[in-house]
Amino acid sequence: MTEPLDRLSRLLLKAKAKALAEENETLAWFRRRPDYRPEFEYFLNIVGQGDLAAIADRAGRPVIALLCNQSPLELIVAAGFQPVKIASGSLAETSFSGFGWPALTCPVVKGLLTRLAFKSSSRSVPIVAPATCDWVAKFGEMARFALPAPPSVAYLDLPRFKQDPFSQKKWLSEVYKLKNYLEDLRGGPITRANLLAAIADLNAAYAAFLSLKAARLKGQLSLSWFLLIVGSFFGDTPRRWAENARRLTFKSNGSNSLAKVFLAGSPIFFPNFKLPALMEEAGLTTVADDLCSSERIFPPGQVLEDSSLPGLLASLAGRYHQGCLCPTFGDNDRRINNILGQKNEAGFTGVVFTVLKGCHPYDLESSLLEPALKERNLRFLRLETDYAAEDRQNLLTRLEAFGQSLKGEPGF
Amino acid sequence: MKVKVGVDLGSAAIKVVLTDGAAILWRGQTPTAPGQEILAKKVLKKGLSELGLTESAVTKVVATGYGKGLCGLAEERVDEITANATGLYRLSQGQGRLIVNIGGQDLKIIHLDERGRVADFKMNDKCAAGTGRFFELAARLLDVPLADFGALSEKASSVVTLNSTCVVFAESEMVSLMATGVTAGDIASALQTSVARRVASLVGSANLGAGVWLDGGPALNKGLVKALADELLAEVFVLPEPQYTVAFGAAITV
Repeated sequence: MTEPLDRLSRLLLKAKAKALAEENETLAWFRRRPDYRPEFEYFLNIVGQGDLAAIADRAGRPVIALLCNQSPLELIVAAGFQPVKIASGSLAETSFSGFGWPALTCPVVKGLLTRLAFKSSSRSVPIVAPATCDWVAKFGEMARFALPAPPSVAYLDLPRFKQDPFSQKKWLSEVYKLKNYLEDLRGGPITRANLLAAIADLNAAYAAFLSLKAARLKGQLSLSWFLLIVGSFFGDTPRRWAENARRLTFKSNGSNSLAKVFLAGSPIFFPNFKLPALMEEAGLTTVADDLCSSERIFPPGQVLEDSSLPGLLASLAGRYHQGCLCPTFGDNDRRINNILGQKNEAGFTGVVFTVLKGCHPYDLESSLLEPALKERNLRFLRLETDYAAEDRQNLLTRLEAFGQSLKGEPGF
Repeated sequence: MKVKVGVDLGSAAIKVVLTDGAAILWRGQTPTAPGQEILAKKVLKKGLSELGLTESAVTKVVATGYGKGLCGLAEERVDEITANATGLYRLSQGQGRLIVNIGGQDLKIIHLDERGRVADFKMNDKCAAGTGRFFELAARLLDVPLADFGALSEKASSVVTLNSTCVVFAESEMVSLMATGVTAGDIASALQTSVARRVASLVGSANLGAGVWLDGGPALNKGLVKALADELLAEVFVLPEPQYTVAFGAAITV
């Protein structure tokens, strides 16, 4: 009777070892790169988010795990928690949960179910999830179905139409719901002073992020390092991460790439850096992106017109809802304007759009974006992929040809 | 005489072209196997010998294809999409606007602008459906050389439909059809229609007014050319030796 369970446990242990090996392999790859610098070590050491207990120890506060970007981080920090966005970029984690779910299940969610199965203590880390795509909305149910010790998932009912005043009101009430939830967990109220201090911390992180963005725009920070450093944000307190990011210095490398691109589409999570690595190998310079695992971790800067507690909450609600470019929204024209608005300053002439197999909202988004961007003289390359390595050569061929087309005409 | 050399290291064959920059002076190929650089060198040596040249006549070697990184004899490398576009535009005397390239393990649709530059392209993902690998498998199952596929399909007497272009599923489907007495001609015809439909789904609603240029080894299959023309409702052109377009393009691109 116990044999099948034993086998499953052994398979799970094997998946865990493989996932760890993937992480170590990616970290080693970063350390071998010619543009590695010792000051990047801090970020390499905090980037993995598999061990939430280690992050809690580092941050000196309990962790709240987050799915997606719409939960106001300031509120979580104000309540005395360390926000950690959880997502899986691991092939081993994704493969383990391969059976039992539809073939085109979102790999981020599938992998996350495996990671939660690694730890029997997963129940102790509460998860907050704004109901964005169908996969995230069903995550809690999937976890209850698949895991012997499912985590507690507190859902926020995210309205899909951002410009509708009723939706905005609804979302504000969800933010209040989150506040109450956090206060219950904390055992005390979130005060205006706590919240202002948290906003200051997040603003400091945002300022540091802008300096990283500027360095990438000037070609002083590669795509891979940018994604790693920004993606490590949840591995430590916002203030400490910001201090370390601010300490980085950048110098001009004198190169002026002819193949500058904007990266859009599905998120790229550690340790899977297949696509950034291939883009660099193909000679593409990524000068901006709109990935929710990268630039969109940080919502646009906040203007505080009303600094009362309700005023701050209303401002946060708007920033994380109306400011969000997630493709799950029904009114999302800003995603195109966001790309076009950066075109002149960043100087890119092409957009690489990545679709993770199973990520239906971005798949649809690519069809809507392609003609609109081409009309504005931007070249567009859609790449559908997953975490496996088998399509590396196929992807590289496409990226090389895309780069060639951005550089101009073939030499004849 | 000085020559430029293009080497296309594909998944099915290594193709080598020697050119003076304007026309193909010599071409040859060998099946892909381990030791690609040695194999490419052998073909190149043969070409130089047949042209009465020595290595000193070679001004440049450019590699393309999936194995381009393995070809140490090349000074330059170029991606196969750019090489294909360049080669076909030149060999079609500037007429080509849309290329369908069926390679050993991929399928490419390349749109060219009026100057022969790559305007856009599509490519299948890692699945080998509808590629040369599909034909190789069928040739093995039917025990018919690939070159005879076109003639075989002309003997088709009934319309059979393959339900999948997936290499794995199609194999078992073909075996089942053979077991029920369906003729090799009918199966070959079904196979070509199936691949043509797969190509058509990638071409979509593109403007085909200037026709379609089919290249890669499977373009030698006349049955496939006809099936593609029927499916796309467009004229399909094939160069005399469509398997060398990419190697030629590589030689003249860089």
